[in-house]
Amino acid sequence: LLNWRKISFSALGTGSMWQLVTKAEALQPVSAIRRDPVACPLSSLLTARSLRPALQENLDKKLFGQHLVNKVVVKAVKGFLNNTNAKKPLALSLHGWTGTGKNFVGRIVAESIYKRGLRSKYVHQFVATLHFPHAHSINLYKDQLQSWIRGNVSICPRSLFIFDEMDKMHAGLIDSIKPFLDYYELLDGVSYRQAIFIFLSNAGAEKITEVALDFWRNGRTREDIQLTDIQNALSVSVFNNKNSGFWHSTLIDRNLIDYFVPFLPLEYKHVKMCVKVEIESRGYAVDEDILTRIANEMTYFPREERIYSDKGCKTVDAKLDYYF
Amino acid sequence: RQAVIKMDLDRKVFGQHLAIQIVLRALSANMRSKRPRKPLVMSFHGWTGTGKSFVSSIIAENLYRLNIPRRKFVHHFSTVLHFPHLSHIHLYKEQLQNWIRGNVSACPRSLFIFAEMDQMPHGLIDSIMPFLGYHEEIDGVYYGKAIFIFLNNAGGDKITEIALDYWRSLKRREDIPVKKLQSLLSEEIFRNRNSGFFHSQLIQKNLIDYFIPFLPLEYKHVRQCVREELRMQGHPEDEDLIAEIALAMTDYPSEERLYSSKGCKTVASRVALSI
Repeated sequence: LLNWRKISFSALGTGSMWQLVTKAEALQPVSAIRRDPVACPLSSLLTARSLRPALQENLDKKLFGQHLVNKVVVKAVKGFLNNTNAKKPLALSLHGWTGTGKNFVGRIVAESIYKRGLRSKYVHQFVATLHFPHAHSINLYKDQLQSWIRGNVSICPRSLFIFDEMDKMHAGLIDSIKPFLDYYELLDGVSYRQAIFIFLSNAGAEKITEVALDFWRNGRTREDIQLTDIQNALSVSVFNNKNSGFWHSTLIDRNLIDYFVPFLPLEYKHVKMCVKVEIESRGYAVDEDILTRIANEMTYFPREERIYSDKGCKTVDAKLDYYF
Repeated sequence: RQAVIKMDLDRKVFGQHLAIQIVLRALSANMRSKRPRKPLVMSFHGWTGTGKSFVSSIIAENLYRLNIPRRKFVHHFSTVLHFPHLSHIHLYKEQLQNWIRGNVSACPRSLFIFAEMDQMPHGLIDSIMPFLGYHEEIDGVYYGKAIFIFLNNAGGDKITEIALDYWRSLKRREDIPVKKLQSLLSEEIFRNRNSGFFHSQLIQKNLIDYFIPFLPLEYKHVRQCVREELRMQGHPEDEDLIAEIALAMTDYPSEERLYSSKGCKTVASRVALSI
């Protein structure tokens, strides 16, 4: 499947680097693997204005119940892309309940920057349980991960790395990429200041829900919840959580994460919106009755108030299949 | 060239009058001599975001003429990246020695910056001990013109403690006695398990010429950082915004709220969120 291929860039004086390539690519001479000028966005050409398609629009239309996310992600990404003097790569940490849209946002961001979205050559997704499954191989993973990042950013500075299931990542593995997230101008001749890192995790979900529930119980609207209400509590709870991929990580110590983005648990009305969008995407007419029935089939917590969907919007697809 | 470094440091680095003073003194002493008896070894200590890495990069930028590719003479080591596995420490020691020997023989005025010293395995840094001492030459290579800089977070808490003490006794930040701070630092680092210098011979044998403390940043310094960031990103310098962000960042101790526990880090993202 994939081979490690050593590339020596002695002309640049940067020594050698390893690149993960497909078998076909491994057989090609090194010079053939160069940056695809169309697929790898040049910072001079890509400005926030040309974000394709409109990031804000997509989030407004397709992400439900996450007023905080809409605000932060757009500003963060736009601000970063517009900043020609960025001193460190953009690092977003998305936290929250399952099925609330974290992976979705990662996809939307990818689609707004890269022509082929998640399928772009310069977008890399790591799933902890898939790519780093064995605790005893952690040293191997560290080496591979560092090489992968180094190799790809040197080819395309505006690369996007998405790390999923951070809460399952071995504590310390993520530490191995810390230097790339830092404020260094160059590391072994490579600049990481244009790269984007997105971390997805369930860690902190309870804390976020606590805040949301608090608001609800005090009769305050969901949209009143401010980022500050959640942010500080979140960074501490994630840091101290032994199950978090960030536990004791110097990422938080050194403030290498630029934005903690909280995802609130979804309410009944949001679940209905998910169902509606799914029906529309399948090309069927929207029947209010079905929306209600499917939303009712989901389970909600806490036990007494039953406000938030246990699975967010997950399993909605399967339930719809049953109806059509 | 010294004047240029001084100007750059004074202009770009906020709140580190002490550190700048010592750095300039160290550099001028070393660069004035035609053949220094030992390489210049400086160890920077302080909280995150206070300017340690920044100062070392300003030194690097000004030490070499513009048209010479700097990367040939400035060597930046990231512990996490270059020395990741404890089990390979023997390999790293050898590689490090070779790297230093090779590069200093090619260019006597080489600059070596060791970042993330707190993560360095104990004992590794001792492998370069021979190069830092008072030798005419070692195996035909002269090291006296080389410069070594170590960047540490360890010791930062101690520095902040002292700074806070001074503030509470209503004394000026500018009056903090350097010598006392420096000797306290070297003791602290030697004893600190979370330091690459734990029980290091470099300290025992006094091979580090200067311990340089980076003080925690106060509200007024954070303001300067915010203003600079707004300027750099091409935004208007909104005084209210500057005050708001600087105030939010000044969080330590939780009561007096004198210093920013993150130094000037997170300024860029806060600015982006507020625009």
